[in-house]
Amino acid sequence: MIKSIVYKEWIKTRWFLLILTAVGLLAVGNIFLKVQHAITFNEAHKYWYLVLFQNQQYFKGLKFVPLVIGLGIALVQYIPEITAKRIKLTFHLPINENRVLLMMLGYGIVVLLFCFALVFIIFTLFSQHFFGEEIVHAALVSVTPWFLAGFAAYFLTAMIVLEAIWKYRVFYFLASAAFILFFFEKGIAGAYAPLNWKLAVLTLLISLSLTFSAYRFRKGEM
Amino acid sequence: MNKISRYFLVLMTILAAAVALPKLYWLAFDKPIHVPFVMYSSQEHDFFMIDRENDESVRKDRQGNYYTRDEFEVKLPMFFSRQLAMNGNMPDSLNGMDIDLQQINHARSMFRYRPRDMQTPDPGLYPLFEAESGRANLEMPTDFFRITHRMEFLDAASNEIDERKSQMFTTVLDNRGFNYPAKMIAGIPTTRKSCDEGYFVVDNEDMMYHVKLIRGEPYIRKIEVPEGLAFKHIAAVDFMDKKYYCYLISEEDDLYILTQDLYEFIRWPFDALKAETDELRVYGNLFNYTVQTRRPGYMKVVALDNKYNKVDEYEKTWPVSSETKQGKIASFIFPAELRLSDSTTNFVDFNFELMKRLNWIYLNIVLVILQILIIRRSKLKLNRNILDLVIVGVTGIFGFIAVNFFQNKFFD
Amino acid sequence: MNNVIECKNLTHYYGNKLVYENLNFNVREGSILGLLGKNGAGKTTTINILHGFLQPREGECLIYGENTQNLSPHTKSRIGFLIEGHVQYAFMDIHQIEKFYSGFYPNWNKEPYWELMSKLKVSPNQKISTMSCGQRSQVALGLILAQEPDLLILDDFSMGLDPGYRRLFIDYLRTYAKAENKTIFATSHIVQDMERLIDDVLVMDYNRVLAHSPIDKFMTGFKQFRFKTKIEIAGLKNEAFVVNLEKAKNEVELYTYESEDFVKDFLNKNGIQFENFSLVPMGLEDAFIGLTGKY
Repeated sequence: MIKSIVYKEWIKTRWFLLILTAVGLLAVGNIFLKVQHAITFNEAHKYWYLVLFQNQQYFKGLKFVPLVIGLGIALVQYIPEITAKRIKLTFHLPINENRVLLMMLGYGIVVLLFCFALVFIIFTLFSQHFFGEEIVHAALVSVTPWFLAGFAAYFLTAMIVLEAIWKYRVFYFLASAAFILFFFEKGIAGAYAPLNWKLAVLTLLISLSLTFSAYRFRKGEM
Repeated sequence: MNKISRYFLVLMTILAAAVALPKLYWLAFDKPIHVPFVMYSSQEHDFFMIDRENDESVRKDRQGNYYTRDEFEVKLPMFFSRQLAMNGNMPDSLNGMDIDLQQINHARSMFRYRPRDMQTPDPGLYPLFEAESGRANLEMPTDFFRITHRMEFLDAASNEIDERKSQMFTTVLDNRGFNYPAKMIAGIPTTRKSCDEGYFVVDNEDMMYHVKLIRGEPYIRKIEVPEGLAFKHIAAVDFMDKKYYCYLISEEDDLYILTQDLYEFIRWPFDALKAETDELRVYGNLFNYTVQTRRPGYMKVVALDNKYNKVDEYEKTWPVSSETKQGKIASFIFPAELRLSDSTTNFVDFNFELMKRLNWIYLNIVLVILQILIIRRSKLKLNRNILDLVIVGVTGIFGFIAVNFFQNKFFD
Repeated sequence: MNNVIECKNLTHYYGNKLVYENLNFNVREGSILGLLGKNGAGKTTTINILHGFLQPREGECLIYGENTQNLSPHTKSRIGFLIEGHVQYAFMDIHQIEKFYSGFYPNWNKEPYWELMSKLKVSPNQKISTMSCGQRSQVALGLILAQEPDLLILDDFSMGLDPGYRRLFIDYLRTYAKAENKTIFATSHIVQDMERLIDDVLVMDYNRVLAHSPIDKFMTGFKQFRFKTKIEIAGLKNEAFVVNLEKAKNEVELYTYESEDFVKDFLNKNGIQFENFSLVPMGLEDAFIGLTGKY
């Protein structure tokens, strides 16, 4: 059964997954081409100085990339389910309704983890190539909320898409958008150090949100 | 799972609303708050200030006498020396001492400390400048140092450790009895300064070391810190009179200076500072230091003579934003405010602030009643909505939005 | 005989608008029941409750003894659901969708599916979304047949189908159901389709059930008489035996479960002069309209 669910989710998402992962990798590539360029033209120590003391955020090209990936995966995964209320088919499958949702969600999480891990690791390796560990560490502290935002956007988009009543979709969107802003507060490199774990906990808490709107659907709120 | 998810979504919405709504409110209605500017006159031996009365800037003294701009500047020759010199009414002696512009400029200093200078991510890597390069201008070194389990120099171009240089400095630090790792490293990491005085490094046992690079060799001097004294912030300064290296704020919020040459810690007679929340400004001149600390609505100014003895002090308050009309209206709407960024810190975190006035209780009560009506109208059972009502009662408008955005419609 | 579906005391409102109150009906094992009703009569509501997508205000529906709100996976595997409009995972092709569903049902039997597919002129990698309505209906039906369910719940199965496909669908379904002793609960917009398919009929109108009986009993028992009269007979509508009455000029259509003699006696006794009295043969659609009215 889980194989069949994964198969279905894979058919829906495979091309977008490929494209979005490529976008992520291109963004990382672009960041370090720029770094390479700056170092070639401006000398490495001067660039390091800008990064350390002038708040030059070499990683800022990554800012909205995980958000877009999370949002994109959620849309391609869940919009086909609500088109013509196809989610009914899913609920008619001989599995518990919440279990089937969790399988779909689990697929999304695994796929996002894979995609984000790839982007994150390559970003880290390149950073380590160019910069000392203190700079890398501060950069990772700063990009972490962006990746968390990718997960949060995935969870919340799934919930919004599965809600059947437009009025409530708008409400959920407003609340979600205001929450997503938490992950994009302006700050110097490393500024998110005290907040990251709290955002991670909040992201975890809302990870099952799609079961809420799916429950509403099953009880006739459509 | 569905019900718990709802409560988590309600929590998320309350947090999001507690950030977004007050932010939008202040964006729409906030008005600037004028902070008075207070100076100590070395000529009149009294405080003078620029304040705001009836939407107009006024210049006055402590007794409430008003001055024109020209009169005011004459009272403060150490602050407005250039203007006075231009007008030709600069005194040539003050307090029985001959003065000229050069002298005045030489002794003038200005320092500003903001809590975010202390509450900020540590860069961890610092450039160590060649202090006596024989060149007129300082040059940015091609490597950066860290002090972890030893002192290491990291070359930026290759991103590799310069073993020879690292070894050299580590050996000297070892000889001076340094306890790794460094707790604090304070210096002025810029080439735009008159000369380089290296770094002041606090080791793991709160001992201080002065670390410089002189003609390619390490210069490391251990600075005896009096027993029981530890610092939470050090701000190196680059003043022309070269009287001291830095300002230091102790764990007890006392303000110290570290003198040049003798490396003496001198505590300034000033005890109003709360380093986590207050701004500090120090204006120095030939005769006096004006030390002021301020937070929203309150300022304390202390005047010291040039031997750092207290000669006078002055306190001033003014209405803060919560006491303005907009602030009072806000307290009728919002029970609290949540901010991610705060002017006192460079870190991003939840900064929760309860409204000082309890005016919001009225709205909360109204919203609870409204919520009961909504529950009735939707034909839902009241006893299943007790928790929702508690949420609305406690978090007011934020919770009201949250529980209605995410409907409490569940069946057995 | 066992009831596969039992709906008891169903009451539902949308907002303050009553859909129905205390609705009861059963579906016997091995029977084919057609649910008929005008738009807004509560057909969709009933289907949604049976599908488990609506919590009725009061009452419950049981399928194989389980509340439709919480069907166990095992019971769900015994039910084939056809969703209104033959909705399926249209982003798949016919191979992918067969592979997908086969993972869920232990008795998966792909032969009837491929038999139906072989009659469709679709290319192997053609997405279901690019197929015609008729082709899609065959895919949806084929999948249900391959599932080998004991109960089929078919919502508006004739929607968007050509007459030919409709006939094909119905004949296939009836043969299949009777051969394998399947139970079917079906709704359709096109009432005349039902006649070929169903054993029992359930006719709903706003707030109530108008008829619930075996189809042949209903078709023979429910009659239309036509006669001419010059007399004002509006009061006749309130007589207990009159189900429905339509009068255009002098022409009267009277619908009743009573016999011809009974009606004639009644008219004579009450001094209503009539001529050209005749029993009009009706199809299911005529009967349905007679029962529920034209408006």
